[in-house]
Amino acid sequence: MTIRISGLGGASLPRLAGGAILAAVWILASGCQPAGPSERAEPKPRVALIMKSLANEFFLTMENGARAHQRAHADQYDLLANGIKDELDVSKQIDLVEQMIAQKVDAIVIAPADSKALVAVAKKAQDAGIAVVNIDNQFDAQVLADKQARIPFVGPDNRKGARRVGEHLAKHLRSGDAVAILEGAPNAFNGIQRRLGFEDAMKAAGMNIISSQSGYWETDKANQVVAALAGEHPELKAVLCANDSMALGAVAALRAAGKAGQVRVVGYDNISAVQNLLREGRILATADQHADQLAVFGIEYALEMLRTRGTPADRETPVDLVTAPGPSPQP
Amino acid sequence: MNDTASHAHGRIAAGRRWLADYLGLGLALALLVLVFSLSTRHFFSLTTFQTIANQIPSAILIATGMTYVLLIAGIDLSVGSVLGLCTAVVGVGLAQGHWPAPLAILAGLAAGLAAGAFNGLVSIRWNLPPFIVTLGMLEIARGGAHFLTRSQTQYVGSALAPIVETHLLGLSLPFLLALAVVLGSQWILTRTVFGRYLVAIGTNEEAVRLSGIDPRPIKIAVYLYSGLLVALAAVIDTARFESANPNAGSGFELQAIAAVVIGGTSLMGGRGSVVSSFFGVLIIAVLNTGLAAVGARDETKRLVTGLVIVAAVIVDQYRHRWSQTKP
Repeated sequence: MTIRISGLGGASLPRLAGGAILAAVWILASGCQPAGPSERAEPKPRVALIMKSLANEFFLTMENGARAHQRAHADQYDLLANGIKDELDVSKQIDLVEQMIAQKVDAIVIAPADSKALVAVAKKAQDAGIAVVNIDNQFDAQVLADKQARIPFVGPDNRKGARRVGEHLAKHLRSGDAVAILEGAPNAFNGIQRRLGFEDAMKAAGMNIISSQSGYWETDKANQVVAALAGEHPELKAVLCANDSMALGAVAALRAAGKAGQVRVVGYDNISAVQNLLREGRILATADQHADQLAVFGIEYALEMLRTRGTPADRETPVDLVTAPGPSPQP
Repeated sequence: MNDTASHAHGRIAAGRRWLADYLGLGLALALLVLVFSLSTRHFFSLTTFQTIANQIPSAILIATGMTYVLLIAGIDLSVGSVLGLCTAVVGVGLAQGHWPAPLAILAGLAAGLAAGAFNGLVSIRWNLPPFIVTLGMLEIARGGAHFLTRSQTQYVGSALAPIVETHLLGLSLPFLLALAVVLGSQWILTRTVFGRYLVAIGTNEEAVRLSGIDPRPIKIAVYLYSGLLVALAAVIDTARFESANPNAGSGFELQAIAAVVIGGTSLMGGRGSVVSSFFGVLIIAVLNTGLAAVGARDETKRLVTGLVIVAAVIVDQYRHRWSQTKP
């Protein structure tokens, strides 16, 4: 016995689907064309924003902030925003920069997926007369020196931010208390900076760092590590997480271990999901880098460079400490 | 006389297979526990095992579904993303829609079933390799999760707390549920006609078809079951983390396949056991927890985990041969 599924013939449907996909790609591609012929007459600069993973809340907030800024200043510049699928897709990001060079944009604002691998192509853009601004993840100083490139970095000092979070935590601990650090992905620049900042604060306050492990920025991985640490180290007094997603995992692990309230948790990023936990005191503190403004700072800096043609210098953007009985949640 | 001899023979062979199936895994597990107990202060404690038990229900559920899928010589690469999608549905329903918890849970389960139905129906209707169809679903579901949540982690608070806070004999409700699913699925696999069909389809689908059984509804049922179990896992994880992250479950497909293969289920279909997959999940969980308790460096963790997976599969080859040889 066979079941016939009626409908279009077996051969024609895949072909139809293929055609539809081609058509969709064509429409999408043509929809992304940056400037129509009418705009070409105006000397409005075109700024390309090249982002890391748009699958990440933090980067999406950054990009949305940039888009809002462009809408408010539509007379001043055009924005081409592009991102890669995940944070590790380095080659795709290099391709994006090359496409932007070919498009002859005036400025490129880039959050590099890799602090070394993107230097060469950023230098190439600079050599093509494009103003390049580095945001979020700072280019490696050694590689920049090798390539004899000077690319200004506009962004927060993650180490300083993490140190402030750590210093706030230290006020709630006693010297010699056992603490653990949950790092971001092992090769991420900002993750490393945050770890260093946590370490600075903990060492200065005389805390005992019993473990420092990666939670890969993720809730479930952080949960596993903290659950294991809570069992192995009953003396644990605090967990410092390099981002808020991991702090959520740490809070869940401590609750499951019956240690909620006994072990303090701090995070980083001030995402909307931790607002209630901050108010309830289950997360003691986090840091707000004003994600929605980070790309905007870079864009404004790029526009400034285009106007003045001055020598680029780094610029630090603010990081705020957000503590438990903190401000009302962001909308 | 002859009859009883062959009967006894069969019993020995069966016993030997049972021994090969579970003793090897049990020993491997015991060895890991021993190593970590000796290298840490507090690993060998009731707390550690309770912690592990309360952590692995979602992995057990996903591995159970994956076992069925691999048994019929299929594969489901979408489980991690579907977990993310179901989590997103539950999270957005609770946090944005302010739905009552049962409605949000049902919506999450429906999303899992829909993904499973897509995987099953599409691969069968167009006779496509499930590798490709579920790879497509991997992207679709992840995209859907990000679309629904606008890429923002959703905070659900204590809306689902009763799920994880209900305990019996120190074991959480999710763990007991996962255990029940394992035993039920193993019973279906070994004691029902449906289970026999799964093995038969995985061994030789053409022969099944020629003997007058349509394998297609059975295969669709398997993908539906996998989707449903993934959705259950998503509900449990959302309850545990009090939040729904659109990136939840990324990479779970490979973890689940690793656990199932460590348990000795064949990637080629036709051979496998849900209970063995349960052991596979336990081995990976003990490994993860032990390495974290030791405080191993990250590269060490990955190296050791990879080596254990390969070693387990090599051992499984020998185990399989041994159980096949005549006593």
